[in-house]
Amino acid sequence: MKLNTYFDKIGGFVITGEVGPIKGAIPRDRAVVPRCAQEAEFLHGRVHAINVTDNQSAVMRLGSMAACVGLKARGHEPIYQLTCRDRNRIALQSDILTAYSLGMDNMLFLTGDHIRLGDHKTTKPVFDLDSVQLIKMAKGLREGHDIVGNEIENPPDFTIGAVVNPNFVPLDLQLMKMKKKIDAGTEFFQTQAVYDDKIFDEFIKKAEKFGKPVQLGVVILKSPQMGTFMNKNVSGITVPQEWIDEIGSVNKADRKKKAAEMMAGFIKKHKSKVQGVHIMPLGWTDIVPDILEQAEIKINGVEG
Amino acid sequence: MHATIQKPIQEIVRYIKPGEKVFVVGCNNCAWKCHSGGEDETKNMARRLEKRGVEIAGYSTPGPQGMSLCKLDHTRKVLMEDYADPVKKADSFLVLACGQGIHTVIDATDGGMVHPGCDTIFGGETVSETQIDEFCSLCGECIVEYTGGLCPLTLCSKGLLNGACGGAENGMCEVDAQRECGWVLIYERLKKLGRLDLMLPYREPKNFAKWSRPRSLQVSPEEAIFCSQDGKITISNQD
Repeated sequence: MKLNTYFDKIGGFVITGEVGPIKGAIPRDRAVVPRCAQEAEFLHGRVHAINVTDNQSAVMRLGSMAACVGLKARGHEPIYQLTCRDRNRIALQSDILTAYSLGMDNMLFLTGDHIRLGDHKTTKPVFDLDSVQLIKMAKGLREGHDIVGNEIENPPDFTIGAVVNPNFVPLDLQLMKMKKKIDAGTEFFQTQAVYDDKIFDEFIKKAEKFGKPVQLGVVILKSPQMGTFMNKNVSGITVPQEWIDEIGSVNKADRKKKAAEMMAGFIKKHKSKVQGVHIMPLGWTDIVPDILEQAEIKINGVEG
Repeated sequence: MHATIQKPIQEIVRYIKPGEKVFVVGCNNCAWKCHSGGEDETKNMARRLEKRGVEIAGYSTPGPQGMSLCKLDHTRKVLMEDYADPVKKADSFLVLACGQGIHTVIDATDGGMVHPGCDTIFGGETVSETQIDEFCSLCGECIVEYTGGLCPLTLCSKGLLNGACGGAENGMCEVDAQRECGWVLIYERLKKLGRLDLMLPYREPKNFAKWSRPRSLQVSPEEAIFCSQDGKITISNQD
């Protein structure tokens, strides 16, 4: 189901989760369920759709497409993520057509983390297109033509998503890009992880003027070490010290409970300002139902 | 200018077979500025190789300071006439210059055997006598009219054309926290110039056919003919 079906509904609040494909192949033995599919099980009936990352952090893994197909077969609604880092415009277009042909109704287009952040540091970064150009090209395919203007058969139909980072300084530069993404064809946005109330408020106040649905993006903070790690290694995201201290205030056994409470509190505080929430659990999908319950949000009109 | 750095001497020595007589050629322009292949470094390279048991047929940095090795007619004259005897004795040429200089030596010596003595790292601005920085990627289609003179293809690690990715933090690039985000630099400069309007329009994907290799250029006072995979483009220098 296309996500804009939900966004278009009056008061539609769209909940999405996220899984990362495994570093390896899907076993031929169907009794062995890949970890990303196991993680997705906890989201079943709780979210409208699940993002499937594309070689996230530039670490080589199973393709987003294969994982999406696997999730679809298990009854989930995947969001196919596609980045500019590893493919030229021929491969990007071909993959969009292939993804649609394999049943994907939702696609999220990103620049992609630079290869320096990943595990193949000496490879050639592609970046033939940027995310704005990718979005425009995807919209073109939907309209029946490829990027050079050739007509295509049976144009695909999918919802176009994109990402925006509220933490970016100067924010205006990020908002200019957001506007370009909208003009290019973006139908909804997921934000990068935000933890700071003031930063998010400042962003959403300006972003809401564009009139496009925005999902608040949150990454579940699992430990103080993770917060410190993210501040040091994850680009574009800052975890405030209060968050690090709070998750560190309980012992390991109670961290999931605490994390759910913290994430829910943040979502609850901001949910009235957005059209949805995108939860990036980094493996802790099992606490997503608890987060949603505590944040007092649920999906409506989706078969579980 | 073409920025170059010398290859490690151990690697250079490995290129040379026992008994091979080597003529060392430097460049008195870019490589001189980089201290990788000027007169001093060329002479010194001959000495360093001799010390390691390599037989040196001769050495030269053709022309006065400021003269590039890649000027073929000049280099041919120097190597084939001025240095005819040692060049005849040489089995190979170790070139302390950029890749263009290496090929110039092949052409100048009618197909002589060459060894690269340098790595060519980028085309750069000589910011000071001790600093060379890259501001242009030699892409064949300049777009800096829209970016305040700053090239996003070069200054942005991802070469994005429509603005910053989400990865920068406090204005620093996600690839290197010591380096400013190219798009933040462009934004700040356009803001200062009162031209932020230039940031707003959609920028088309790059025509990489103009960045194809190898490319060639025919020049005259009247016109230039640029050949790439994009075809032959004739530009008038007078009109």
